[in-house]
Amino acid sequence: MTETSPVFLLDRATRKLRDAIFVDDVPPELVSQVQSAWSPHFAGSTAEHGHWDWNKKYELVEQAPLVYRVFGIVVDEEMQGLMLVSTAGKNCRETSQNGKPLVYIEYLATAPWNSADIVAEPRFSGVGKIFIRAAIELSLEEEFGGRIGLHSLPQAETWYRDVCGMTDLGADTKYQGLHYFEMTPQQIEAFMRG
Amino acid sequence: MKMKMTKDWFLKNIDREDKAIVSAGTFCVSQLQKKQQPVEHMTHSAFAMLVSLSRRKKGLTPEKLSDMARIDLDELVSIEKISGYVPEPRTVCQLALILNLPEDKLLQLSGNAKARDQWLQNQAVKFAARAQSMEKLNREEKSALEEFVKKLSESP
Repeated sequence: MTETSPVFLLDRATRKLRDAIFVDDVPPELVSQVQSAWSPHFAGSTAEHGHWDWNKKYELVEQAPLVYRVFGIVVDEEMQGLMLVSTAGKNCRETSQNGKPLVYIEYLATAPWNSADIVAEPRFSGVGKIFIRAAIELSLEEEFGGRIGLHSLPQAETWYRDVCGMTDLGADTKYQGLHYFEMTPQQIEAFMRG
Repeated sequence: MKMKMTKDWFLKNIDREDKAIVSAGTFCVSQLQKKQQPVEHMTHSAFAMLVSLSRRKKGLTPEKLSDMARIDLDELVSIEKISGYVPEPRTVCQLALILNLPEDKLLQLSGNAKARDQWLQNQAVKFAARAQSMEKLNREEKSALEEFVKKLSESP
């Protein structure tokens, strides 16, 4: 069931915070609208997430609604980012947490107008930080201790490693050679402290 | 799920996300070629030479480039030396970033993405025919490299 919470994003032009709405369980009709709204902005771009079809990704939710969830962040009735997570079937690889369950971020993307690989001056900042926090909060709710994992697209590796403080577990040959990242309890604590 | 985020927490280090790319997830599979499919020989030769010559033009050793691109040295050597070797998509994207080459074209040349136009294939064949494998770029190689990179950037 769709649930919303108040959050904020930074308007980069005015440097002021804007009220935003965090949406848990984005409905399929909204995902479809987002796909239509975002696609034209990706035309001709080489952004690594530019070819993602969110309608296709939503099929995972329809097939296994208890495992997959889609989160979104809305400002001015426009979706500013989407994240698809799974809460089953993935376990920690990091040595100290090996085998423990985690929330796995299947896909995370900002709207094209918020992405520096599409526009020179992105409109809003903060989408990534809110989504990572949401994944951690979901992991805590699921009693997974806040543990999360993801495969980063190449251009985002620095952000996950240096800004979010996640552990880079190296290239995963089963996932197109993408680097796999996890957050341990100590790193979660640091991230949640801010 | 209700988010428990406060304004203070958000403000604490929001500037660190400024202009950061935050995407997570795999590349679009429909854009990528199945790895088992054979790569057209001349196209792949062009890819290997393009990487090798671009690296040398920047004065980078294989070790230095692998460090800068955060890729395995083994994989870089395989790209440059083993005919038909298809690297991981991430590796190609990292090389495109460090060598200032167009990522989508490099994915096609490397055999990771479906070849979308004959034009690129033709240019790749011409380039492969011109470039020679030598320790130092000679004038002909340099000219071939510059012309090919220019064409990659101009292509439809």
